[in-house]
Amino acid sequence: MTYSAKLIDHYENPRNIGSLDKSAEDVGTGLVGAPACGDVMKLQIKVGPDGLIEDAKFKTFGCGSAIASSSLVTEWVKGKTIDEAETIKNTDIARHLALPPVKIHCSVLAEDAIDRRSRQADRRHPHRRADEGLLGDELYARICRRPAADG
Amino acid sequence: MDHFARLGLPAALELDGAALDRAYFAAQRQWHPDRFVARPAEERARASTEAAALNDAYRTLKDPLSRAVYLAGLKGVELPGDGRTIDDPDLLMEAMEAREALHEAATVDAVDALTTQARQDMQQALAGLGSLFLRDDRAAIRKTLLRLRYLDKFAEEARARRTNLQRVKA
Repeated sequence: MTYSAKLIDHYENPRNIGSLDKSAEDVGTGLVGAPACGDVMKLQIKVGPDGLIEDAKFKTFGCGSAIASSSLVTEWVKGKTIDEAETIKNTDIARHLALPPVKIHCSVLAEDAIDRRSRQADRRHPHRRADEGLLGDELYARICRRPAADG
Repeated sequence: MDHFARLGLPAALELDGAALDRAYFAAQRQWHPDRFVARPAEERARASTEAAALNDAYRTLKDPLSRAVYLAGLKGVELPGDGRTIDDPDLLMEAMEAREALHEAATVDAVDALTTQARQDMQQALAGLGSLFLRDDRAAIRKTLLRLRYLDKFAEEARARRTNLQRVKA
């Protein structure tokens, strides 16, 4: 199986690894896991007073495709509104990274994480509607699809 | 036929390992392809199907966690399959923190200490499953099995980390 240059780049030089203060008012945290492969992913966003995502960080313990997908997603969501971020689909991630079909579920993880986190940021942000976090879960579901035998 | 019935064993969480081995090897002898070489094609096919099913049953029941997952499945508790996700924050926070600690463990001793803790957690969780099955508390069975999956994955990653640290030292 061959991987695209973009995927390898995000895997070898992941962007925005780290954590934001999860108790901060303007930070939303999305946690999502794929128990079948034991992967776990955390995505966090910081939302500015203008409603735009100022910063995004991730921590992913999982396969290379899951790491690359979360890295890509943190780049994509910056500067977007939460509503815009929620429109990111696993198929967009998979297409951009040219994930092989068996890896598509790794992009689901990232998408789940985005949705979960966005909702949570919404709830915390005084200017936005109250909602429950979605960024983690769907993002994962959208990012990480791989066969069990594949490390 | 479920795996327990195939091996003539009671469908239970606790299984005597020696009894499982005996049942498996006896059944495997019965269906061994060598005994069917001179038999008609349909009997040979049957024997090979039976032998494969026996291997599958044995593999599934031998390991306590896969046995528990299988038994839960028989009782209607399904775990998320490949690519399905969960969002239980307690469970995932625990898994995330454990993996972070492992990632930061810089020595073999540090990894071993984490592994010991994970093993204890696994044993405790497995021991607690018995009463959950008795009460037929499906939500708690599911959560415990998911937690065990993550602990199992942690143990696997800890072994890899240990090997890496030893290689670097050598």
